[in-house]
Amino acid sequence: MLSRTAENLYWTARYLERADSIARLLEVAYRISLIPNTQEGYNNEWESILATSGTKEDYLSSYKEIKKDKIEYFLIFDDRNSSSIKNCINKARENIKMVRTGVTLEVWNAVNSFFHSFEELIKRKYYSKDLPEIIDLVKRNVNLIKGTIINTQLLNDGFDFLILGNYFERADFTARIIDVKYFILLPSTSLIGKQVDNFQWSLMLRSVSSYRAFKWAYGNSEIDYIKIIDFLILNDKCPRSLYFSVEKINFHFNRLKKNYKQAGSISPKIENLFKKLRKLSVNDILEEGLHDFLINFIEDIADVYQDLERKYFIGT
Amino acid sequence: MLNNLCFNKNVFNEVINNSGVRPPYNKVFNWAEALPKNIILKKQIQAENLFKKIGVTFSVYNNYDVSERLIPFDMFPRILTSLEWMKIQKGIKQRSIAINAFLTDVYHKAEIIKANLIPGKLIYKNPAYDIKMVGFNVPKNIYSPIIGTDIVRTDEKDFKVLEDNCRTPSGVSYMIENREIMMRMFPDLFESLNIESVDNYPSHLVDILKSLAPKKCNKDPNIVILTPGHLNSAYYEHSFLADLMGVELVQGTDLFVKDNITYMKTTQGPQRVDIIYRRIDDDYLDPLYYKSDSLLGVPGIINSYKTGNVNICSAPGAGLADDKAIYTFMPEIIKFYLGEEPILKNIKTWRCYNKTNLKYVISNLKNLVVKEVHGSGGYGMLIGSQASKKELKKFEKKVLNSPESFIAQPILELSTVPIFDKSKLSERHVDLRPFSLVGHKKFKLVSGALTRVALKKNSLIVNSSQGGGVKDTWVLSD
Repeated sequence: MLSRTAENLYWTARYLERADSIARLLEVAYRISLIPNTQEGYNNEWESILATSGTKEDYLSSYKEIKKDKIEYFLIFDDRNSSSIKNCINKARENIKMVRTGVTLEVWNAVNSFFHSFEELIKRKYYSKDLPEIIDLVKRNVNLIKGTIINTQLLNDGFDFLILGNYFERADFTARIIDVKYFILLPSTSLIGKQVDNFQWSLMLRSVSSYRAFKWAYGNSEIDYIKIIDFLILNDKCPRSLYFSVEKINFHFNRLKKNYKQAGSISPKIENLFKKLRKLSVNDILEEGLHDFLINFIEDIADVYQDLERKYFIGT
Repeated sequence: MLNNLCFNKNVFNEVINNSGVRPPYNKVFNWAEALPKNIILKKQIQAENLFKKIGVTFSVYNNYDVSERLIPFDMFPRILTSLEWMKIQKGIKQRSIAINAFLTDVYHKAEIIKANLIPGKLIYKNPAYDIKMVGFNVPKNIYSPIIGTDIVRTDEKDFKVLEDNCRTPSGVSYMIENREIMMRMFPDLFESLNIESVDNYPSHLVDILKSLAPKKCNKDPNIVILTPGHLNSAYYEHSFLADLMGVELVQGTDLFVKDNITYMKTTQGPQRVDIIYRRIDDDYLDPLYYKSDSLLGVPGIINSYKTGNVNICSAPGAGLADDKAIYTFMPEIIKFYLGEEPILKNIKTWRCYNKTNLKYVISNLKNLVVKEVHGSGGYGMLIGSQASKKELKKFEKKVLNSPESFIAQPILELSTVPIFDKSKLSERHVDLRPFSLVGHKKFKLVSGALTRVALKKNSLIVNSSQGGGVKDTWVLSD
């Protein structure tokens, strides 16, 4: 496979996952806006959404104040925001357009139809009340595309690169969400066990679409920070956990290596990370410091990407 | 109804003439007449959605932006009988062979110039003539393996060649997709008529290219298609062909040359490339030889080519043969190399560099089509009858300033085939572009073509860049 093809497939999946993540963040924010009397929490929440998506500075350079409908517009449609849903969809389609021959007609159709239905939204004037419809459209289409990939793609190297793009993005994004909120996960003497904690924690689970899943995994027991950290970082069944993404990345690295009959390790770093996470407990993480742990994790994933790039995307 | 469809008596209407519907169109005409209005509109939307869904688009540039457009598709098919097709096929084969013989000659001994059949300056001063190709032996002497021939019909018998496209003719993907969409929408038409299929074009193309492997290739050759990238107007076609041919679609940056060998960059390291079907212009092929600021090409590729390590199809400099100034000599070229009379005639053409011709052109400007010799795509062209006085004056000046850059032709009454205008049939002008393939001792022409249609009433401009549309084109088998 052409190196560029591999790279295009990787970025197609990565941008789709990012569009999906932004939609989920917006969904959480929308829920908050429906809850009365949380003016302070409200502003914090919208700010942290910008922080999570890594676009706070860009936003503030274009708009003066933190305002709900402006942030919504900024995250969904704004050209100035390189990670707006619109830009993610455009880039995903641009990438897949360059490798049309590397995906099935069904996958191409799914991405192309997504692009066209989103174009319809762009033509309309944006009203805040349309937000749920837009979020729904994005989530539905991304899920459809991923399902189409799994159902129709030949499970060859191209498949590996698509899946890798998905999990690199997810690992990075989940780590950022936890990091932005890490302070609320840590026990603070004044707030422990209060309503606000529970509420914030449940929002966090929702932002990674894992609220129900959490209930399934841990029963109806009280939500507490130990369980949440375990669930979002170490749980091997939660598709949004850091462990899960690392396991997938490691698995597809090994598959590529095997199918290409290549000797040596593509990335010792991912192997070590995988081994480390497998043995880790929540207490170990708290001892390292949750924030430090997450910052290190994000850097590690960036290094692993370098390994991938060097091995497969350069090609000479 | 019939009267509506036959508004201009001077024009050859392919469907209806004085004695009624022409036989090849009998069934289709009845079918079209019987289609209820609402079905026509519904099917039109369905067709458009199919094109959109598949992503069959072309890009249009203006100064600021590139936008994707669908090429308008009309559902009323263009039909040719097997007898008509046989003549076209013979004519194109003759022309394609002559074109390659001509190119071999002008880059070697130039016998045709020595025989005083073509003025040397028309060749040696031609921007499409590539001096670096002189004396170089291209594999099997095939310079232009992929040719699109623009043909117009002016009456019952005559098909004439308007233009040869020897560099990177586009449109073959539309020929195949138009058929695909017609078959999906109207399967019963295909059951009741015997229509030749067109879908083996990509495999013929692979065959033809494989027969043109370079000297130093001694295994099954690795073929790639070289595209300028996804912003190119014909990008869809490039990816479409790569897909159906089962070859890689590469951009310049995907290739590199080391020790005169061309490689592509893959996830498993460098892989040797033997044959490049390039869809980029000569000027952009190799920054070491041509435009030094080109980012589309591959540094060193011409050295790789000249050392027999890779074949580039079409060959650099092959565009000389489709230059409009050379076109006017095509009858002489056919006679000189093949000793035959041309089967397909040229259109009467005045060469403006000739003084008597120039005088005629200037005094008859409003009855002529004047074309720039090196222009294409309907740009830089004047249709005298449709131009304002001011435009005529302006063009006259242009022609007088540089007569050798222009040719003139009579305003052709292109034949017509109806389109569905909203839900009614209405006649429109069409042309025909078959796609022929010339390899080592091989010639292939699928029985089908691209029909381009001017969508505006009375308009003679069929180019998609100027708002033209396309039709599925059927060749009936006996």
